[in-house]
Amino acid sequence: MREEHMQQVKRWALYVKEHPEEWKQKLKKFIDAQIIIARRAYAKLAKTEQGREKIRIIRQMKGGTK
Amino acid sequence: MERKVEDKTILDKFLEDFVNVVEKHCKYIVVSGFVAIAHGRSRGTEDIDMIIEKLEKKQFILLHNDLIKARFECIQSENPEIIYEDYLIKNTSVRYIRKGEFLPEMELKFTKDELDDLQIKERIKLPFTGLDVWFSSIEMNIAFKEEYLKSDKDIEDAKHLRIIYGKEIDENKIKRIKDKINKLRMKK
Repeated sequence: MREEHMQQVKRWALYVKEHPEEWKQKLKKFIDAQIIIARRAYAKLAKTEQGREKIRIIRQMKGGTK
Repeated sequence: MERKVEDKTILDKFLEDFVNVVEKHCKYIVVSGFVAIAHGRSRGTEDIDMIIEKLEKKQFILLHNDLIKARFECIQSENPEIIYEDYLIKNTSVRYIRKGEFLPEMELKFTKDELDDLQIKERIKLPFTGLDVWFSSIEMNIAFKEEYLKSDKDIEDAKHLRIIYGKEIDENKIKRIKDKINKLRMKK
């Protein structure tokens, strides 16, 4: 694991700890954006030829965990 | 401190709606990545992991039917008997989504051993998250991530939780849980 990345993880965790109200709005934008972008990609894929089948395969790859 | 509506993410709302149904039928806990994310960990995820008490088939069918009424659907099958017999009772998880939506997903499984029973028994609400849902304890999450899951992402999640809770964390408890993980899950 890159040390700089772990430092970034620590810096953000400290920010969250010290700003218990502010972090939620900042994080919301990030969390929502990645879901919205992924939904858009799936929706686009679903409209393509064999798109539904590809989605089924992607879901199968995730599978169920023991 | 409850999270304001405008601060709730798509994941938060999805979880709360799902929990509103599940809690009428059984005890549950939210575990793993979402625990860290609910504490502000800045990383993406498409799913939330939930463990529920092991149910009889009849009880599960009632739960599944209520989830359908609440406009959720199971990816693996529409048939609750198949979901129960081919997946849950064989300790394999299933995934629920909101009807017609691709994401997020709720990965649902039954308790499978005394460690899961302990997680349910010691479940806790975590005011820092601002969410009115049951989580497995912080010590349990840290122990699983450091001792069992161990990917870079999991180690970072554990570090994040350690920083948020600092001295409140019971290190002896983490040690005891890690010993149990080794005994029950890794057969050491």
